[in-house]
Amino acid sequence: MAGKSGRTIEATPQDVWKKRIFSWEGMLVVLFLFINIFCRCISPNYTVANVLREMPKYLSEIFLLLPMAYILMLGEIDISVGSTVCLAATVACMATNANVPFVGVILITILTGAVCGMVNGFILLKFPELPSMIVTLGTQIVFRGIAEIMLGSGGSVSVTNTAGFRALSGEIGPFPYVFFLVLICGAIFVVLSVKTTFGRSLYAIGSNSRTSFYSGIKVGKIRFLVFTLMGTFAGIAALFLTSELYGANTTTGNGFEMDAIAMAVFGGISTAGGKGKMIGGLISAFIIVCLRIGLGQINMNPQVVLIILGALLICAVLIPNISAGLGLKKRKKI
Amino acid sequence: MRKKVFSVLLCAAMATSMLAGCGDNSEPASNGGTTDDANANNDAAGGSDDADADDAAGGSDDAAGGGAAGKKFALVTKSAGNPYNEKEAEGFEDVINSLGGECIIKHPVAATADAQVSEIQSLISQGVDSICVAANDENALQAALEDAMAAGIKVSCLDSKTNAASRMTFANQAGTTEIGQALMDAVYDIAGGEGEWAILSATSQATNQNAWIEAMKSIMESDSKYANLNLVEVAYGDDEPQKSTDQTQALLSKYPNLKVICAPTTVGIAAAAKVLQDQSSSVKLTGLGLPSEMAAYIGDDDAHSCPYMFLWNPIDVGRLGAYISAALVDGTITGAAGETFTAAGMDNSEYTIVDAGDGGTEVILGAPFKFDPSNIGDWKDVY
Repeated sequence: MAGKSGRTIEATPQDVWKKRIFSWEGMLVVLFLFINIFCRCISPNYTVANVLREMPKYLSEIFLLLPMAYILMLGEIDISVGSTVCLAATVACMATNANVPFVGVILITILTGAVCGMVNGFILLKFPELPSMIVTLGTQIVFRGIAEIMLGSGGSVSVTNTAGFRALSGEIGPFPYVFFLVLICGAIFVVLSVKTTFGRSLYAIGSNSRTSFYSGIKVGKIRFLVFTLMGTFAGIAALFLTSELYGANTTTGNGFEMDAIAMAVFGGISTAGGKGKMIGGLISAFIIVCLRIGLGQINMNPQVVLIILGALLICAVLIPNISAGLGLKKRKKI
Repeated sequence: MRKKVFSVLLCAAMATSMLAGCGDNSEPASNGGTTDDANANNDAAGGSDDADADDAAGGSDDAAGGGAAGKKFALVTKSAGNPYNEKEAEGFEDVINSLGGECIIKHPVAATADAQVSEIQSLISQGVDSICVAANDENALQAALEDAMAAGIKVSCLDSKTNAASRMTFANQAGTTEIGQALMDAVYDIAGGEGEWAILSATSQATNQNAWIEAMKSIMESDSKYANLNLVEVAYGDDEPQKSTDQTQALLSKYPNLKVICAPTTVGIAAAAKVLQDQSSSVKLTGLGLPSEMAAYIGDDDAHSCPYMFLWNPIDVGRLGAYISAALVDGTITGAAGETFTAAGMDNSEYTIVDAGDGGTEVILGAPFKFDPSNIGDWKDVY
């Protein structure tokens, strides 16, 4: 609440704000290095080759993080992406089994995701007073419902001709294709958010959408665009997930939305909107992935891993608040 | 600024010590478990003693024991918190320890193929010698398991199989038709030869569940004896107690003339048994259940909801899976039909690999075991 109404940009000295954000990303980089050293210490198998081989399964979630960060910056949320991934993956498998050429499969899958995103965006465009949490909760159920109808009584479909998906999960040296794609997309998203009018208007809308509207920013249009982008990337994520699983079932994509939100929040992107940086989300995504791989390699109970990740997330949200509190006290004393 | 960096470093240090603490704690715990299990094994039937004796007697068996020593054998279960899987893991661990191998048990976070893929990839990184998996999805593990086999790891399944291309062989708890026949006869007997009955299954994509349901349906169609039985619905409780309870209640309200529910899943049957018994329903239950969970519900009178049920011994399934893994690793078998291997210390010690009918092979443990009021008391403390 306070984030939306209580922010007065002029009253805050520009460089202090910048410094704080910079230091958060700086800390994440330190933490990233630290986590990698830590994992290397606890597991002798934590080598570059092994980590890169284990990574593609987690990387598909990073595709969801990128647009999810934009949505959070807008002060909105999209919890339908897991279902969108499920639906798009189902469509991908069925299209492949119907002997559609693989390029066609790629297009159809991404298009399916984009349409799902557009549905969300369209509802929010036409009824701006509806909270995005509730709208996407509804579409979450609808999309998964459609996927379950398509999957039929067996609840699962598998790709009979896996050639295309095998090619997609190929590698250049030890680096899987998807790794490069994530980095390229990540770079584009970072630049978009920092250097373009579109990116700056995301922050403006997230800080105060009414003011932005009266300042001439096309709030509805941008919201529609970002939700469509989210769906499109859910389609891409579905494509790469299918290239790992060669199939889809009713549990595909379960919980992906929350993983993506967790990565973004850990990266310093506020769910209240208008705060945080794309690059932080990206670094935190890799921190979480590396930690999962490292702890998995020492056969730590996955439930304990979940507890650790949850605790880290709470720390990530707490630390800026605590340090901000300390800073305030100091200023008052002086 | 300096303070902030300092606080982050402090937090990081705290997190490290926490993680290190977890690592330290988990290891002694698992070691403790191992010794307990090993003791239990000795107490139970002197199984490992027998194994040693056999090893000493047969030269080739001795080599088998030597081949397992120092190797890493991994088991990936369906999910954590599944009592049936935990029993399988116990049997698996017993055998691997008695053979002198190192045992790694991986319980995925959720009962999804997705979660199992992460675990399998992690095991490949660790360079294990064999992976045995209770598959959550028949086809979805193919990419990961092919990676494993390409890395020289011996891949087998137990409990629930993967497709033929992603396994070498499969420890099947019982032949699909044997189970279908046993359950169908139970339904026929309990319903009195006619009336409505329903199936309460686990998830709609569980390979083993679907195979048994198909077997029951085909048996029902093939014999006119079952003509008066009417299968009204196959409900899915997703192996969650709450959802299984809800599905049972839905079945009761939808079909007032229902006579029998058959739940071929341990979670589903326990949930359904509680619903039926609490409501003093006239509907009776059978299926596949754990004796320890079902003991309170098994009885011939109206006060009990389940006259009898079936299961095999999950500890034996785990042990068979372990012997298969060991035999694959030491080269006794390659997973082709017709090969035989010795599972020392098990009742039926000479096992033969047979064709599974899906292009792959399997090893069948035996026919399902019937639990009724006369023997449930002996078994409820076992598992």
